[in-house]
Order: sequence, then structure tokens, then C-alpha cells
Amino acid sequence: MDEKIQQEKKSPTAISVNNDDLSANEQYVTRVVEDKVNNIKKMNNIYGVGKVVSIKDYIIEVVGLESVSFNEVVNIDNKGIGYVVALKPNRVSIAVLKKTDNIKIGDSVYQTNDLLEGEFSYESFGRVIDMFGNDRLTNEKFSNTIKVPIEQENVPIMDRTSVNRPLETGIAGIDLIYPIGKGQRQLIIGDKKTGKTQICLDTIANQVNKNMVCIYVAIGKTKREVKEIYYDLIKKNAINYTIIVAAFYDDLPSALTLTPYYALGVANLYMKQRYDVLVVLDDLKKHADAYRQISLMSGKAPGRDAYPADIFYFHSRLLERGCQHKDGGSITILPVMETKSGDITDYISTNIISITDGQIVLSHDAFVKGEKPAINYGLSVSRLGGSVQTPEIRVLGAGIRQTLLSYLETRDVYELANEDDMSAELRTKLFEGREILNALQQYKYSPLTHEQIIAKFSTLIEQYRQKAASEDQKVVTTPIDNNQVPDQSATDTSEIL
Amino acid sequence: MANKIIAISDINVQIFSELSQDLEIGDILIAKDGKKEYKFEVVEINNNIITTIPLTSVVGLKRNIEVEKFNSGLSIEYSDNILGKVFNSYGELIDATKMESVATKTIYNKDNTLDKIKVDYQILPTGIKVLDFFAPISKGFKMGLLGGAGVGKTVIIKELINNLYKSKQSNAVFIGVGERSREGKELYDEMLESQLLDKISIVFGQMGENPVSRSKAIYSGLTLAEYLRDSKKQDVLLFIDNIYRFVQAKSEISSELKRVPVENGYPTTMATEVSEIEERINSIEGGSITSFQAIYVPADDLNDEAVQTITGHLDGQIVLDRKVAEKGLYPAVNVFKTTSKMIDVELIGQRHYDLVKNVLFYLSRYEELEEIIAVLGIDELSAEDKLIFYRSRKIRNYFTQPLFVSENYTNIPGKFVLLDDVLNDIEGILNGKYDNVDESKFLYIGTIKELGI
Repeated sequence: MDEKIQQEKKSPTAISVNNDDLSANEQYVTRVVEDKVNNIKKMNNIYGVGKVVSIKDYIIEVVGLESVSFNEVVNIDNKGIGYVVALKPNRVSIAVLKKTDNIKIGDSVYQTNDLLEGEFSYESFGRVIDMFGNDRLTNEKFSNTIKVPIEQENVPIMDRTSVNRPLETGIAGIDLIYPIGKGQRQLIIGDKKTGKTQICLDTIANQVNKNMVCIYVAIGKTKREVKEIYYDLIKKNAINYTIIVAAFYDDLPSALTLTPYYALGVANLYMKQRYDVLVVLDDLKKHADAYRQISLMSGKAPGRDAYPADIFYFHSRLLERGCQHKDGGSITILPVMETKSGDITDYISTNIISITDGQIVLSHDAFVKGEKPAINYGLSVSRLGGSVQTPEIRVLGAGIRQTLLSYLETRDVYELANEDDMSAELRTKLFEGREILNALQQYKYSPLTHEQIIAKFSTLIEQYRQKAASEDQKVVTTPIDNNQVPDQSATDTSEIL
Repeated sequence: MANKIIAISDINVQIFSELSQDLEIGDILIAKDGKKEYKFEVVEINNNIITTIPLTSVVGLKRNIEVEKFNSGLSIEYSDNILGKVFNSYGELIDATKMESVATKTIYNKDNTLDKIKVDYQILPTGIKVLDFFAPISKGFKMGLLGGAGVGKTVIIKELINNLYKSKQSNAVFIGVGERSREGKELYDEMLESQLLDKISIVFGQMGENPVSRSKAIYSGLTLAEYLRDSKKQDVLLFIDNIYRFVQAKSEISSELKRVPVENGYPTTMATEVSEIEERINSIEGGSITSFQAIYVPADDLNDEAVQTITGHLDGQIVLDRKVAEKGLYPAVNVFKTTSKMIDVELIGQRHYDLVKNVLFYLSRYEELEEIIAVLGIDELSAEDKLIFYRSRKIRNYFTQPLFVSENYTNIPGKFVLLDDVLNDIEGILNGKYDNVDESKFLYIGTIKELGI
């Protein structure tokens, strides 16, 4: 885009060029200029140039630009770039994407004839980049960039195939109970500081030597947070196969909203080359808020929670880019969503849940109790479940999940009951559940392979089966079963007394 | 220069027309710019200014481009071969097949007049215990499947397709509106694999598509269902996943047209537009449409205007609840909010009716007891309450069920359960026949007979 600005710089001043001894290229420029001058003489509008007539933060309105297209990129007086968001009968609305200086009324706006696209360099691995093809670590533009579409047609429904290959996160609670497959969209949702980003980073770090392209997209993160993530990935030797795409908190909201689309455009590039791509979108709450800001600024009617009516489509078309392509490549998306007070039923969260193929819910309560990862196993869901697991882990996982969920539900009800009065079955259930929950504890960056998970949990089940067997023998001496008809047992005891 | 484009935004294109008297709402206009072709549907006419909604993306479109009237409004091609085919929202085939000897039909059919409507009750067993017990379904019913995000609406829809469509061998139409492309494709693949594609037509307007496309899928799908009902005299099963997305798409369009919204941004015309499509789903002499409509509940808010507007048309509803799902009890049905017009002594008989009444009494008492237990513990309950407590937990567990379509998730083979067995089992639990059986034994079984007691 910078080159473009350079070229455009010349054009308005080119009128004073001398006609003698010109190269073919310059002659062409002169001819174009002469045409335009003739047009002015004939009282026509000067095509391709407009004047700023209204400024509202980063939304400006321009008069002129008669032949500009919808979503075309424009250059605003060499101070910045923007793109056309609406064409009105005598005005054009432009969202500013980037600016170096303040825009003023009367500034000239030039057409570029390019539709909105991002730029990308294949040398972006191990770097922090933006959608304009810049290396944000050095603030320099990559030398050999290619165009990447921002908005593009989704992969047609008939070109998709079923998601059935496992993506190993290395986290037992996920791989075993709520697995993620290649091409799946799995939401990571929870309050602030519950380890959402950590789960994503763990997953990226676990892709070492798995021939996976990883793209971490920071949406509205602070510069410091992004730098920390960058260093973390270096430490874990994960940076070589990872691209960090960052839109900071202080970037313009228009750039913030487009960055995830750009990142998925890059992912699509690799998927077409039959790579498996993992995209982390961190996080979509800020993404939604940035879009709400733009929408309300440009006069759209507010809907539920003041979000515009198309907020669902804003995310659905983004996340629908995740897929298993019939040609072999795939895009797995892990969107992150921040909640308040553990409420996953707010408008934006439920919107995203209704788009994704499942969610890993992180609980603040569990986190402060020291459970890590702090997964709420009751509220988490995987819509694909066993179909993305190997048969061995599927059988193990289904059993563990059932025991665990049943334990969690029973635990709440029987919390105050006297353990000695419980039936043997109930006691075993509570014991097993506790054991499983303990075994699922796992510190950050300590991945388990599938073999290790299988070994660990098979042994566990074996152990508590043995324990239960020995318990059973003890139980014979205390035959009171709380699950029996209560009044019956009451009469029994009274008779004994 | 008869008609030219004067304004463009995402889904709103305005056209200046000198021939606006020749245009009417619903007409299709067409613009060509080089190789690209754009189509628009007329939605508002104000003197010379025509407001249209584009059928596809308008990226790259310019002002001042000439627009012409297309020869017909939105219509769908049909023939005897519509079964086994996959269409997009605009009625175009997307499965690389072709149809021969086709006729076309507008997708905006008028609804039925009162004299044609047929009312008749004929029970349709679904094999899903909790549905057949609390919300029995009759042929010709409109059943809603309500639930927030991720509580299992689509799984139930798929189980119903599995149990009803496969066993009945009826003709069916599946309309995918604003849902996941992945699920759509998997449904198609599963149908193809189990060789069941030959009696179903599928229409997709999924969530990655623009709101105009999403809103049209339903009209196209209904047109196919009506064709099967009226011309082929069939009993048609209609599955819509998800009808809320239709209202949502209409909201997006309405908002872009700068129309004043009602609460939560829904369009003012919502009730009319929902009625127009719901009234088309009806049974007439000779053919019926039994429909299952998944209804997304935004922000888990059952009082949402759109949800309420849709449920007003239904004969019954199955409400899925996150609190039930959280306990690992699937299908996660909230039995207190699940109901059907069939719950009537004359239609289902005294025994079934009484059992429903008793179970609801037990379960509502159980909810109250749960609160007491949370504070005092089980030991403090009266003998009678203890009975209710333990039996209710068994009933609750009994109504979980291994489904055919979630076999690879639960690892338990699916079960089709007959209503008679359900009634016997429930009667048994209520009468204390199984008081000595541990409650966890009732989880994910078909009938109690399986336990070998």
C-alpha cells in the first residue's frame, strides 16, 4: 500500500511536466492528465478524485469519486488510506484504515482502482505482522508481498468434507473429553484471567513437528501482551511455524475488525496448498465491540445490547471459513471469548456458541481453587465428540466423561450428606470422580501425547476398579443402603431398637 | 438511461428509474459490469427511487451502471426429480446434478384458504422417550425445538430425521437456514451413505451467506414441500434448521433499509412475515406437512420477541435447557416447558394423561427439594419427600436416552423406544417397583427391561 501512496503522490503534481523527451510511460501519464484537463474544461467531474466534506473520527464523507467501486481502497491526501463502505447519491462514505496525520475538510481523496485487500509475505513466520504487509517488530514493510483478499466467498458447502482427524492439544481434559478435530471451530470461553489464551498457546506449542501452520491473531490486545506471547512462543520453539497477526488496542477500529478476516485469508492461502492451519482469534468480544463502534458511528440502528442487526453474520461468515476441505487442507479455528462473572449466556457469547462446533468453558471458581486447566466440564461441549478421536481414546474418553459428569452432578446434591451413610455405589462414584478430576490437572506447557493420556487414564481406571472391589468386601458389614425406601429402613431400625 | 444505480451499501442498492411504474415489489433487476453480473430484488418503490436488496455480494459494484428488469421474480425449477437433490437459497442445484423436463414456480406462493385446511390427529411415534411422553406428535403438527446455543437442537432434528424419515419412508424436505455448513454437508453425506437421499430434497442457505440468501432458503424449501403435498399428494416431513435465522436475516435486511426496528432490533414486519411462511406449512385434503422447526433462543431468553412470535404458530414445543445439559442429561429437555396439543385425555387416553400429570408433580416437588437439600442435606427430608426425591431422580435419569445419531459420541448404540414401554416403566418407578435399584442404572438405557430386573 505504501508504494501506492508514493505513486499517487506524483499524479496531482504531474500537470506541470514538460512534453519534450518523455518515455512511453510518462507519455501515457501526460495523456491521462490531458484527458482530465479536457474534462474539466467540459465541466465534467474529475473522475477519480474527491474532496473530504465531513469527518467523524475514522468515518469520513467525500464528494466526487464518481466511478469508485464499493469496497475500493482510496488514498486520503497521502495521509492515510481508507476504503469505501457506502456509496450515496452524491457522497461516498469511507472508513479510514490507517493514518499518519490528521485529515482535514477539503483534503483530496484519490481512487486506487484496487478493491480492499491485505498484503502478506511468505516470510512472516516467526514475526508479528499486520494486514498491510508490515513487520510490526521492525516497523518495516516486507519486500515481497502478495495480495490477500479480506472478504471472499466461503468454501462452498459441497467442497467440504467431514471433520474427523484429531488435532492434538496435549491437554488431557480436551483431547480426552472434549476433543478438537482438524477443521473444527472450538470456542474457548471464560472470564478474565482464567487461562483462555494459555490453552491456545499450549495447543500451538504442541504442534511442534506436526507440519501445522499456526496463526495467532491478537485482536485488541496490548502491545505488551503480544510481546509476551511472542517471547513465550520463542521459548517453546513454536515460533518457526507460527505467524502472529496483531491489531492492537490503539489501532483504528476499522483495521481491528478486518484483521481476523485477513488472517483467515492467509489461512485460506495455506489450506489451498493442502496445509492444516490452526488459527487462534483472541478475542472476539473485542472484535464485536469494535464493530459495534463502527456501526453506531455510521448510523446503523442498534439492536440487542446496542449491537447492530448483522453482528451474527459478522462472526458467522468469519468462522465459517474454518473447514475441512475435500482436497485435504483444513482450517481449525479457536476463537476466544471473554465473559463477565462466568455468564456464557450473554448475547455475543451465545451467538458465537451457536456458530462454533463446541466450546471449552473455563471457570473462575475452578481457577482460584487451583484447578488447571480450569475447565467447567459440565458446560463445555464438543459437537463432534468421538468422531475426531481415535477409537482407543474415544472409548476411554466416553467412559471418563460419563463418570466425571455424573460425579460433578452428584457432588452438588450429596455435598452435605454423611459419607458413612452412602451406598457403596455412591461412594465409589464420588471417589472415582475425585480421582479423575485430580488426574486431569495439568500445568501449562506440559503436553501429554495420546499414548501418555491413554496410559495414564487406563491405569487410573484399573486402580479404582481394584479399590472398589476391595471396598465392596468391607461394605458387607454395613448394609444400610440410603437408596432404599426410607420409611422401610426407619421401621427396621425402630424394630431393632 | 432508463434505470441506473445511484447508491450502494452492503445489502441495499438504490436505483433511479424512469420506468418505475412498470416495476413491482419482488421483481428482479439485473446489472452487468464487464464479466460480473449482479441481481437485485425490488423491496421499496418511492417515485423514481427503487430500493433493492442484492442477491449476491456487491463488492466492486459502481454507481451509474445500467440496470434492466429480469424476466421473472424469484422462482424455483421443479420436476418429479426434486428428491435427492440439493438446492441453494435461490433454488439453483448445487450438487452438480441436472433436472430434466422442469417447470418453474414462484417461491412466494399464497397460503391456503380456510376451506382447504384439514384438521386431524394421528399419533406419530418418534421413539424418543421424553418426546413421546411429554409432547406426543401428531401427523400435520408443527413442532418447535427451542434451545439456546449448544444444547442439542440439531442432534434432536437429526434423530427425528433418523427415526421418522427412515422408518416411515415418507418424502421429506430439509431446509438449512443460517446454520453450519459443516453440519449441512455431514447430513448430506450421511444420507448418501445410508442410501436415504432418494426421498429427501435439501435446501441450504447457511450462515456464511448474506442475509438475503439466508432469508430466501425458507421460501424455496416451502415451495418444494408444497409441490410434494399438492401435486404428488404426499405426507411430507419438513425439517427446518433453524427458523429463527430467517427472522434474524430479515432483521439484518430491515436494518440496512433503515426501517425503524422494534425491540432488540427486530423488524416491525416480523409478525406478518413469520405468519406468511408458517401459514404455508399446513395440511390439506390428500396431503400433509408435518414440520419440525428448530428455534434458536438468543441469549437463552425464551421471552425473546422473535421466539415468541414463532412459537405462537406451533402445535407443540420441545424446550431444551442448558441447566439440564450441564448435568450431562441428554436429550436436555426441560419437561416443564415442553408441551403438545396432544396432551388431552381424549387424544392420548386417561392413563398416559395421568402419568404425565403425576410425573410433573414429582419433578416439580423435586426441584423444590433440591433447594432444601442444598441447605440442610437429604437426611432432613420427611419420609414422603425422600420417596419423591429418589424416585424423581430415577425418572429424570430414565428420560435420558442413547440416540442413534450420537452413537459415536456416547459410545452407546441408539435406542428406539415404544410408548407403551415408557408408560409401563414410568408407572413402575412411580409405584415404587424399582425403589431398590440404584439411580445411576437408569441413565442412558432404552427400557427398564434391559436391566434384567
